[in-house]
Amino acid sequence: MSEPVIRCRSLYKIFGLNPADLRIDGDGVVEPSILEREGTVTAVDNVNLDVSPGELLIVMGLSGSGKSTLVRCLSRLIEPTSGSVEIEGMNLLGMGDRELIDLRRSKMGMVFQNFALLPHRTALENIAFPLQMRGMKRRDYVERARRMIALVGLEGRENNFPRELSGGQQQRVGIARSLAVEPDIWFLDEPFSALDPLIRKEMQDEFLRLQSLLNKTIVFITHDFDEALKLADRIAIMFNGRIEQIGRPEDIVLNPATDYVSRFTSDVPREKVLRVGSVMNPPSEGEEVADRAVDVTDRVENVVEYVLGQRLPVPVVDSGDTVVGVMHQAHVLKVLFPSRSEPA
Amino acid sequence: MKGYAWLGALVLALLLAKSAGLLPAFLDELPLHLEKSSIDTLGDAGKEAYTELVPFGLILDHTFEFMREELGVSLVTRFVSKRLKELIDIFDNILRGGRKGLGLSAPPWTALLVIAFILGYSLKGWRLALLSGGTVMYFAIFGLWKFAMETLALLAAAVPISIIIGLLVGIVAYRKKWLELALLPILSVAQTLPHFAYLIPVVVFFGIGHQTGVIATIIFAVPPMVRLTLLGLQRVAPEIVEAGKMSGCTNLQLLFRVQLPSARNELLLGVNQVIMQCLAMVVIAAFIGASGLGYRLLHKLQSLKLGQSLEIGVAIVLLAVVLDGLSRAWAEKKRDYAADLPFHRRFRYPILLVVMVAAAYLLAPYFPILEKVPRDLTVTYAKTWDGLVDWIVLNWSDGLTNFRYFLIVNVLAPLRDALLYMPYPSVLLLVAGLGLLLGGYYSALLTLAFLVFIGLAGWWDRAMITAYMVVFATFICIVIGIPVGIFSALSERRAKTALFWCDTFQTFPSFIYILPVIMLFQVNDLSAIMAVIVYAIIPAVRYTVEGIRSIAPELEEAATMAGCNTRQRLVHLQLPVAIPHIMLGVNQTIMFAFSMVIIAAFVGTIDLGQQIFKALSETNIGKGVVLGLCVSFMALAVDHLVTRWARERRRLLGLD
Amino acid sequence: MKLFSKRAVASALFAGLGISGTATADCGSSDPIVIPTHNWSSQIVMSHVVGQLFEKIGCNVEYTSTDSQAVYEAVRIGDATIELEVWEGSFATSFNTALDKGGILDAGTHDAVTREEWWYPTYVEEHCPGLPDWEALAACAEMFARPDSGGKGVYVDGPVEWLHDPARIEALGMNFIQINVGGAAALWAELEAAAKQNKPIVMFNWSPNFTDALYGGSFIEFPAFDEKCKTDASWGINPDATNDCGSPAGGYLKKAAWYMMPVTWPAAYKALTRINFTTNHVGTMAMFVDVEEMEHDEAATRWIEENEDVWSPWLYASQ
Ligand SMILES: Nc1ncnc2c1ncn2[C@@H]1O[C@H](COP(=O)(O)OP(=O)(O)OP(=O)(O)O)[C@@H](O)[C@H]1O
Ligand SMILES: [Mg+2]
Repeated sequence: MSEPVIRCRSLYKIFGLNPADLRIDGDGVVEPSILEREGTVTAVDNVNLDVSPGELLIVMGLSGSGKSTLVRCLSRLIEPTSGSVEIEGMNLLGMGDRELIDLRRSKMGMVFQNFALLPHRTALENIAFPLQMRGMKRRDYVERARRMIALVGLEGRENNFPRELSGGQQQRVGIARSLAVEPDIWFLDEPFSALDPLIRKEMQDEFLRLQSLLNKTIVFITHDFDEALKLADRIAIMFNGRIEQIGRPEDIVLNPATDYVSRFTSDVPREKVLRVGSVMNPPSEGEEVADRAVDVTDRVENVVEYVLGQRLPVPVVDSGDTVVGVMHQAHVLKVLFPSRSEPA
Repeated sequence: MKGYAWLGALVLALLLAKSAGLLPAFLDELPLHLEKSSIDTLGDAGKEAYTELVPFGLILDHTFEFMREELGVSLVTRFVSKRLKELIDIFDNILRGGRKGLGLSAPPWTALLVIAFILGYSLKGWRLALLSGGTVMYFAIFGLWKFAMETLALLAAAVPISIIIGLLVGIVAYRKKWLELALLPILSVAQTLPHFAYLIPVVVFFGIGHQTGVIATIIFAVPPMVRLTLLGLQRVAPEIVEAGKMSGCTNLQLLFRVQLPSARNELLLGVNQVIMQCLAMVVIAAFIGASGLGYRLLHKLQSLKLGQSLEIGVAIVLLAVVLDGLSRAWAEKKRDYAADLPFHRRFRYPILLVVMVAAAYLLAPYFPILEKVPRDLTVTYAKTWDGLVDWIVLNWSDGLTNFRYFLIVNVLAPLRDALLYMPYPSVLLLVAGLGLLLGGYYSALLTLAFLVFIGLAGWWDRAMITAYMVVFATFICIVIGIPVGIFSALSERRAKTALFWCDTFQTFPSFIYILPVIMLFQVNDLSAIMAVIVYAIIPAVRYTVEGIRSIAPELEEAATMAGCNTRQRLVHLQLPVAIPHIMLGVNQTIMFAFSMVIIAAFVGTIDLGQQIFKALSETNIGKGVVLGLCVSFMALAVDHLVTRWARERRRLLGLD
Repeated sequence: MKLFSKRAVASALFAGLGISGTATADCGSSDPIVIPTHNWSSQIVMSHVVGQLFEKIGCNVEYTSTDSQAVYEAVRIGDATIELEVWEGSFATSFNTALDKGGILDAGTHDAVTREEWWYPTYVEEHCPGLPDWEALAACAEMFARPDSGGKGVYVDGPVEWLHDPARIEALGMNFIQINVGGAAALWAELEAAAKQNKPIVMFNWSPNFTDALYGGSFIEFPAFDEKCKTDASWGINPDATNDCGSPAGGYLKKAAWYMMPVTWPAAYKALTRINFTTNHVGTMAMFVDVEEMEHDEAATRWIEENEDVWSPWLYASQ
């Protein structure tokens, strides 16, 4: 595995704490009594995280669990109380103003939960804003901003002020703005939550397409498990500022690390999470199987109809067309209707 | 409420003791004071009867003296004054020609006309074009050109300087918490200190003449700008600042391209306030030598030329409306990146402007009327207005005699005597009780401290007279203003009309209506109160209209669906929801009344205002400032209590 | 710092200086002579008359609006160069203070005599035939009463800062009270309203003033002023009180100049010392503005045109 792009260790953000009162042990862990203190809110609590190049990490958790704060610490919009953050091996927290500005101008983009568009600038001007800050020429930034407008499908709206745009349109401006500098690292804080389902789906597809082209390193916050499953390489579940579990979607659903995670995932439609490979039996000699095979990486959701429609078990193949297992109708039914007593 | 019964009992006890002659003198009156008087001996009011228990005035005198002589502040102020004069001379020269400044010759008036017109058109369209062009025409045709240009030159210096100083201070205060904390009380005092109390230190430090008037104007216009800058910056959503940071802004870029523009509404309001304050000061600054329309106005009033004064007043109002309109339109202008226009289209207004101004210059030598409207072609309707005033005086005075008699003898005199009769501890107790009721111990202590200062400064009785005039005027303003506001708010059109008149009257120089009021009511408290009412009623109307018009449409729809008729809607929805805003209007009415009651001393009163005028005449800096503070503190005490209440109310209604 | 100062008309006193078209003198310096104007019309006209005449002898002139009290300090430190109207009654204190501090010159006295006193417009004589005698006025007290004066007559006085002592009313045993207006304009408003309705009024006024031409009127004749009246109770008709007399009937009217003026602008200073206006001159100048509604500078030009014989002797005097 290559060097992580984002790496943080023992990261804390404790609001309302006087820095002088901070006490940390040798591993960078803050003394627990401090976290309990009157008037403090621990929004990020001992977070360790690595995000690899091109990875799309989804952060989930209830409202107030510290997702936005974590992302703000990673972009150093707020100063973490303690801990370390490295971006591409550079110590983010040790950077001076100048370096930080350069980093943001060239490497980072962010989409905000509440859009955060500049009210006095039109859609186009908002998108062009980071480019102007970089000192780009007028002709160039107008052109680039126009491309971004096209990318998010807002042609004809470039001269509208944010207040003249719907919530979804505003968020698309926000997305276009964060993409304008072509960042390598992209933070998105609930970017699609204000969009209607149709547009949201379109944007998600568009997002995947972009990601397959651009291959950015992304930290993406969402409340929507469907969205998470559709996009995620890995999911981190936060609770009270801690990361309860981080891992591939299946791992989280199949092996919840804590009670909280299992409750959090209990309503997740498992056929959307689980892949054929994680529910199949190993191939058994001489078993009669159906003639068409399914892929080991397919989601169960996508093969349900086919498997249930077969009289015989279905062979499972990997990318090299080697048979690696078989799938019985019972496997599918178990995924769709898990009984409470029997863990999947 | 019950818990405060003991306060009431104490007050009652004091009053009873006094009427029974049992009250010891030290609990009745502060040592020396204005002779207690029924109305027929108030003639002796010229006597200066006050003793400071603490010599605030002297302390201030010495402080100012020390600053001036020892710290060398006067060197700085003289220098500033001189530089400012040079700046004003330049503007003055550009607008009026002459030898000063750059030594240019005066532009033809038509050049200004086309500039005003094209500016208005390019910024907003025909209406603004006609308004600003029309205003320039008005100056020329009514023979006010010279004075209007002088005032314009003054504003050209005062308005931008005020805005810049206000912005800078506001920005620094936004960044430095300690400065903000230090500044807020100063701003509060500054915004309630009567205009005339300002003038004395300004004269002492900056000398006399036109530029001193400009400095007074600037000092007066800066506080609202500071306050609104601070407020605006604080209101910018943190996410927007973060978005700026993520876009790679440096600190300066963040400030100028994210924070300030996002605070635009407040800043615009600030600019609007600066313009309004500057225009309000046009007349007042003339008292210390600022020339222009205000000076002209004072001079016309001095020889009782009411009609001409009115025309000058209209000119000042027009100037305010146009400047405000232009600055707003400029700030709201948006650039069109989509249109990739050729040069001559993109710059069509500047080109048009240059062409038209050049035409004005070229044609002027051949058609002198384009250069300057000759005096025999100027018009005036002064005689008509004078005639109208005469008619009113002739026909109404007799009818008003009984009314006047009744009010003075049966209402005002008893009210004043009652306030003067009250032993000072009973007034303090009442105010403290009100503070406790509305805001707890903090409020009680604060308001008490304000009043105690007045007592210690030795101006208790005069302050009571000021207070009684304000109380009575406010009462009338509420009784008339709120119903008028409600009536106006019931239809969109009426609301607009009402707000228009509010704007107009707020910039209309009050000195102009003081004189007709005197002609109708003679020199007495009633005249002063009438003048106060005319001015202070504006916020009562305005806030009522705004409060009702700004109720959320969903609420109105809910009322409609519930089958409310107009009256039910008013009683059950509009008034209850608008009340906190209306209360802010009442608060503003009181503030306006405090500020106007001092100006109304021009009629001839025996309150703090009279003494402020006197101090101004004697250039008595300490006395003037202490008197000003007395007025300011009374206003602040009321302001504190009312805003407390309104805030609490808003919170309860969930309007925040 | 007189808000609307009372010296309305009297100030046109000075318009006399100047030089005929042929004469051209060297002013001495190209620095502008700063002439302060105050907020009443005749003073402004006079300032322009003097300014225009200074210009004729090649001086540069600048007008600046200033307060009529603060101007002495300004002249003393050179912010303003001259002051054309130093009224004994109102400005003597400021003027003398400045003289004591140094830096200001007494540039001579005008012939014009001024008077400040209780005054009434002519038509009041119809109501109270014995006027202008003060005893007649005292007998008519009731007709000057107001709803709020408790049956006593009302004397409308100027602003408190003009420091008129109400002691006279008491000393003479008049059934009157004194009320103070806040500014001179309020006096004129009172006067105008009373005149419109033909109602009796007695008020503070001075002469020359624009009211002379518009309303006509006379001063009340009190027992003549005497220094002893102020200090010696036994003097006068009330043996037990001071102040039982009227105000002095005439005060001086002076010119003042910055102490460097004779050096910097010798020609202009010489002219200034010769200027001598009469009450009549002042009245004319005031009339141009207040009655004929001319602008101040036009009025000044016209006065210069019409009064060449007045100012040329001053100019052509040898020396
Ligand atoms: N500036 C601040 N000062 C004090 N407390 C804060 C601040 N910002 C956030 N918090 C607190 O930190 C906690 C985490 O907030 P955060 O905004 O990160 O939650 P979130 O997971 O993003 O929630 P949501 O899903 O609603 O966006 C909350 O309890 C919040 O109240
Ligand atoms: Mg969040």
